[in-house]
Parts: sequence; C-alpha cells; structure tokens
Amino acid sequence: MAMAPNATSASDGLNWNLVLGIGVILMLLSIFAFPTLMVVGIGFLPTLVAYICDRTEQKFATFCVGGMNLCGVFPYVVHLWTDDHSVPAATEVISDVFSLFVMYAAAGFGWMMFLAIPPVISSFLQVLAQSRVKTLRTLQRDIVEEWGPEVSVATDDDDGISPPA
Amino acid sequence: MGADLPGGLVPPEMESSEGVEAETDAGTAPPDTEERSTPILGGGGPVLLRDRFLVDTGKPLPELDCPSAKAYAVEDRRDLSRHLYGLVCTPGLPIRIDAIRAIKDLDIRGILPLVDWDAVTWPPLGQKAMVVIFQRPMGGRVADRMARKEVKITEYDMPRRVIEPITEGLQAINNLDAPHRAIRPDNIYFLDEDMTDVVLGPFVVAPPGYDQAVLMEPIERAMAMPAGRGKGNSRDDIFAIGVTMVLLLLGYNPVGKIKDEDLIHARIEQGSYTAICGTARIPMQMIEPLRGMLADDPTERWDFNEMTNWLSGQKINPIKKRPIDKAENPFTFRGRKHLTARSIAHHFCKHPSDAVRAASSDEFQDWVKRGLDKGTISDAIKGAVQASKFHEEGHQGSDDFLVARISTILDPKAPVRYKGLSFAPDGYGPVLAVQWVRNGDPQAAAEVLAHEVSALWFTAQPRLHRELAELQKNLAQLRGLLSIQDPGYGLERVLYESNPSMACQSPFVIKDCVSTIEQLLPALDAASNSGDTSTHPMDRHVSAFIAARFGEDIHPHLRALASSRAETSIVGMLSLLAFLQWKLRTPAVLGLSSWVGGLLGPAINAYHNRQTRQELERDIPRLVRKGSLPELFNLVDDAEKRREDSEGFETAQAEWLSAEEEIRDIEGAGEERLTKAERSGQQAAAMISITIALTVVSVILLIETL
Repeated sequence: MAMAPNATSASDGLNWNLVLGIGVILMLLSIFAFPTLMVVGIGFLPTLVAYICDRTEQKFATFCVGGMNLCGVFPYVVHLWTDDHSVPAATEVISDVFSLFVMYAAAGFGWMMFLAIPPVISSFLQVLAQSRVKTLRTLQRDIVEEWGPEVSVATDDDDGISPPA
Repeated sequence: MGADLPGGLVPPEMESSEGVEAETDAGTAPPDTEERSTPILGGGGPVLLRDRFLVDTGKPLPELDCPSAKAYAVEDRRDLSRHLYGLVCTPGLPIRIDAIRAIKDLDIRGILPLVDWDAVTWPPLGQKAMVVIFQRPMGGRVADRMARKEVKITEYDMPRRVIEPITEGLQAINNLDAPHRAIRPDNIYFLDEDMTDVVLGPFVVAPPGYDQAVLMEPIERAMAMPAGRGKGNSRDDIFAIGVTMVLLLLGYNPVGKIKDEDLIHARIEQGSYTAICGTARIPMQMIEPLRGMLADDPTERWDFNEMTNWLSGQKINPIKKRPIDKAENPFTFRGRKHLTARSIAHHFCKHPSDAVRAASSDEFQDWVKRGLDKGTISDAIKGAVQASKFHEEGHQGSDDFLVARISTILDPKAPVRYKGLSFAPDGYGPVLAVQWVRNGDPQAAAEVLAHEVSALWFTAQPRLHRELAELQKNLAQLRGLLSIQDPGYGLERVLYESNPSMACQSPFVIKDCVSTIEQLLPALDAASNSGDTSTHPMDRHVSAFIAARFGEDIHPHLRALASSRAETSIVGMLSLLAFLQWKLRTPAVLGLSSWVGGLLGPAINAYHNRQTRQELERDIPRLVRKGSLPELFNLVDDAEKRREDSEGFETAQAEWLSAEEEIRDIEGAGEERLTKAERSGQQAAAMISITIALTVVSVILLIETL
C-alpha cells in the first residue's frame, strides 16, 4: 500500500492506453504483416530518433522528419504490398543500401527543412512587424501634429511611455 | 502696496503733510493749509470742461483757494456774463462725490451754487484732475471784508445777516444727507458785490472735516486726524458755526497762539466753550447761544430747532452746566498732568510703549478707581492688560493694540486710535485713502480692519443706535473683503468701497482720474498706447475698482480671474472687460482690444487642436481691428468649439494610446519575439513536410490503384 503513490507518480508521463494500443497494433502487424513491420521499423528509425531528440511539446521536428521519412519509406512498403509481401522481400529492401539511403535521405531532407525554414519565416514576420510599426508611428506623428505633444503626455504619465521621436 | 503707486503724481509738498497728528497752531485757517494744497500754479492754457466751461490755468484766483484745492477763473462759453470759478481737486484725495451730485444745479440759499464738475486734463499737473465749478462769490470772503473794515457786522447783525442764511442752507443740505463739515470764517462768502447774500463756501473738494482746523471741530472729531474726522452730522456743523461766530465777532482767534495738542487738552479738561471763549469778551446776548452751539455733549448741543428759535427771537433754554468728570488729584504721564480719563486716553495714544507701562501700574489703576471713581473701568483696564499678556505672541499682545483697547475703555466716544491713526468710525475710508495713496503706507489702516480694532470701539459704546449699528456692519463687510486675497478683493477693494469718489489707482489709469466705471475702458484704451502692454491690464486696482463700482454680478468673472491657470485667468479678464463693454455700451476700444489680443496666447493654447489654434490666431487680428471685446471673447471662449476640441482630444489620446500599445506589443522583448518567429517557422516546416508526405502517399496510392 505504501508503494501505491510512488507507482502512480512514476507512471504519470506515460499514456498507458496509447502504449497498449501501439502494442496491440504491433502485435497484429507482427502476426499479419510482419514484412511491412520490418521495413517500417527500420525505415522510420530517423523519425524515432527525431522523436526522442525533440523535447518540445508540439513535436514539430518529429512531424517534419516523419513526414519526409514517410515519403522515403512509403514507396517500398507499397512495393511489398503489391509485389511480394514476404520476409525475404522485406529483408532485401532493408538490406539494400540504396533503399536505405532513399529512406534516410528523405528523413534527412525533412531535418534540413526543419532547420532552414524557421529563419526564413522569422525574417518574413520581422519585415511585416516593422512595416506595421512604421505605419503606427506615422499615425502617432499625425495625431501629435494635429493635437500637440500633450496628447501623449497623459499617457506617458500613466504608463511611462516616451513620446514618439 | 503703496510702493506700487507711480511716483510724481503727488506733488512733493503733499507727501509729508498728512501727518498722524497736526502739531500746528490753531487758527481760523487750517494749520497745514499750505502743505496740503496740491495743484501747482502754472500755465498750460485753458482747459475745456464738458465742452462748455473754459478753465483758465493761467488765471489762478488765490483769494478763492481752498486748503485742498486751488481756484482758477472759469468762463461759460454759452453765457459769458456768468461769473464762475473752478476748484482743482487734489489727485488721490477723495472728494465728496455724493454731495456734489446732491447739490449740483440746486439753488440753495446760504450755499455757494455748484454749477458742474468733471475730470479734465490739468496741464500743470500733467494728468487729469477733478474740477468743480462754482458760482463766483463776487463779494469775497466775509472774514477778509470784515478785517479790512469794508463791512461791519455787529453782534446784533450777525444772527440775521450771517447765521440765518447759512443755517437755512445747512438745513437744506442736511436734508440731502450732505452735512457741510467745512464751516470756518474763511469759507463764508458774500455772493454779491453788494455784500448782502452770505453763503457757505465749497465743502465737496476734500473729505468731511479734512480742511478744518482743530478749533472748528467738536472735541471727539478734533482728536481725529484730518482725514478721519468722519462725515458727521448737523450738530458738528452747528459747533463749527458757533466757533465761526466767535472768531468773526472778536475779529481775532482767542486761542490762535495755543498749539493744537494744548488746545485739545484744554478743551477736554475745561470744556470747549470755556477753553475757546474763556479769556475773550463775548457779547452778553451771544453767550447763551454760544454755550448751546459749543456744548461738548452732542445730545446737549443745539440742533436746528433751537437755532431757528434763537434766530426768530423765541425763548431759548439755557444749557445746564454739568461739571466735567475730573479727578481731584492729577495723574502725571510724560510730564503732563491729567485730570480726566479722556485727556489721559488721548495722551496715551501718542506714546504706546510708555502708556502700556503706565496703564499696567497699580498707581494708574488706583487713580482710575479712586481718583476718577470709575471702578468698572479700572477693572476693565486690568483685564485688558492681563489679556494682552495672555496673547503675548499675537497682535492682541502688542502695545499698540493694548493702548487702542485701553484708550477706548477710558474714552468710548473718542476716535478709534491705533498705531498713530485716529479716526471717527465714519471716517475710515478717507483715512485709508490718505494713508495709502498719499503717504504710501496702508499697513496700519489695514490692520485696523484685520485685527478688528474698530470692533473694540463699538464694544465700548454704551448703546449702539441705528447709525452706529450700520457703521459697524459696514466695517465688518469691509473686513470680509479684506480677508479675501483674490483679484477684486483685498485692501484695494476696501479702498474703493469705502471711498465712493476714489479714482482708480492702477498705474495704467492713475493719470486719467477714473472715478466712474464708464471712464475705465476708455482710460485703459488710452493706456494701451503708452503703457507696458506685455503686462495684464487687469491689475488688482482695476479689478477691485470694477468690483466696487460696477453694479452687476461679476463673481464668476472674478473667480476665473483668480485662477492659477494662466488660460483661465486670461479668459476671466477678457470676459470681465467684454461684459463691461457690452453692458456699458462703450464704443470700440481698438487699443485695449489689441492689448488684450496680444495676451491671449495661453487662452488660445488651451485649445488642443492646432488647426483650431491657427484659425483663432488668424481671426483675432480681424476682431482686434473692430475694437469689440465681446466678439473677441466669443471667438476665444466658444463653448461649442471648446466641447468639440475636448472630445476630439480625448479621442486622439485614445487613438495614440492604442497605437502605442500595439507598437509595444510588436516590438516586445527581443528574445520572445525571436522565439515566437522560430516557433512559427518550425510549425510551417512541419506543415510543409506533412503536406508533402500526404501528397506523395496519395500520388503513389493513386498510381498503384490505376
């Protein structure tokens, strides 16, 4: 009885339903689609790594790598499904350097996207913000020109904001 | 405050004249006549009064001079046969404007006819002065004629020939509530060359009793300083008639060689009749009338009924001789022996420090109690001394206040006396005027009100009849005005309220002798050409003058004027001036409009909207050229415009604030902004990746299924 609270707190971070669901799926896949499971298991290793490395709540890196990783893995999975869904065929795919390269290169491209796109977006947003600030400053200058500097004084007193230059 | 008055307006010989006490010989003429006369003789050409009377500055008439006003020849342009002369009043000295208005154009037997009056520019003084025009008495002064033996008036002729007409005149002006208070031998004239009509000379060119010698005044008013002798009443005039009779009958002044102070002392201790007529040979039939006229007790003194009875030959009741309340043994103060409470009280006031020491002594209190047999007064003095010690730190502990209190206790009928001032309660106004305007020191006069010195006098009166109660109320009202320091109040307001004829003493208009409200705006308009227009035209004197003379409710204007905010104060000034111009229907005042227009900066700047300000600045010169202050005011203080401006300002303020908040939001903290942008980029990358994946999966599935 004394262990019960500790056991509860240790299991706080895990979603046991999800784990159970994944376990059931994996078990079913290993019974009915083991070759697919082999290819997917090996092919999605970069995504697993990204998932482990990505400590953010939103898991953007995982999605980014995972999406592109899917692009690299999915053709081979489809090939298995349409050609020969057997363990030797799956072994052939995962032992082929080229197919592994395609899968991992796609994941690598996803990682590159994850690294390259944010600065571009950030710069773009920065330009937009500056443009807005400029518009607002112009508006403030017009107001002061029409109503005198006192129009901003009361605000300054209240909020400690300096009048616009 | 007096230091603010511009110099040069009061001729130098005037400044030292109005002393606290006049230490001069008693005589028929006022002792300080020469010192107190103002107008300077000199040329400058004729001056036109009311477009009709030509006052010739080059033709002085010294034989008709008054102690406070010089006489000049006057010509009536519409009737050259009229014999007139004008008296040029002393600037800064209050004249009796109510009396002038009352007797103007009236033909009263026994009174010199007053023809007209006005303020005119008087070249010898270089400023405006009040000129009062009288019919010229062609027979000259009665006293001069008698002295030159050109006419003989015996004790038998005197009543019918001299006293009767002037008594009749006095009765008439008394009915107009204008006692003469300037009856003396040198102010009685023969109106005609035949020397048949006797008239009393001018009495309106100085405060009541101001030109009188100590001898001519009843003892209570003789103890007051010249300006403070008060309006008085007919009994004071009858006293002066009595003294005048003595001097005319004798042909000399029996007490001419006695100093004023000694004469007052003698009159107090012996009675006025005995002191004045004691050594002279008074005709037998005149003794009883003179006793009646010179009685020191005003209730015993003759009135017009008794005068008429005497003049008509009816039986007169002899005055009962009442002994003066005297001590058997004198009390000596500063070497002078005193037998009466009045005498010692009068002397005390001249030397407050010594008086306090003497009054605190047991010897004095014992003398009052046993010598004068006035135990109550002795106790009251003792109480006053103790109260003074109790209030040692305040004004009530000062020697001057204590002496004022003790002297009032000792002699309740004597004038109010404080710090060298002495005045009858109805003479406060002229005292303040003379002390401030002419001597430049209103401090003591202001303290009389502020410290309620006059209240001591009223408290000491055995009973307050209607006139006294009214006087007390008036002084209390003046005190109330003094206690407010805003423009339109203070000592300036007291000055104008207590002196209805007092000209506005503002440096801007002092040379224009502005004594009526109608004259103010034109004078300020003229001042705009010569004065310093960077200063406010509405100084404390102007605002107090308006408050005292303008019969409309101007409290809102005065409140605005008193505001510490420049724009409110300026608008208050403009609104008051505009109200004056509108109400008095004053024609265009171009100079004043320009002057005020130049000071409207703060009022214009009170508008927030710059466009509105520019419009106002553009429109003001146009209205200034019209000389219309009401229009200028309407432009500057348009309520609708102000409301719109205020609302617009509030909206603009809110808009500015909103923009500022958004800017702050955008700029925010740098790190936070970067993080936010990076997260957005990562999100975008993830979305692109998923989109590509979904597309690829879809395409592959599509290809495989086809």
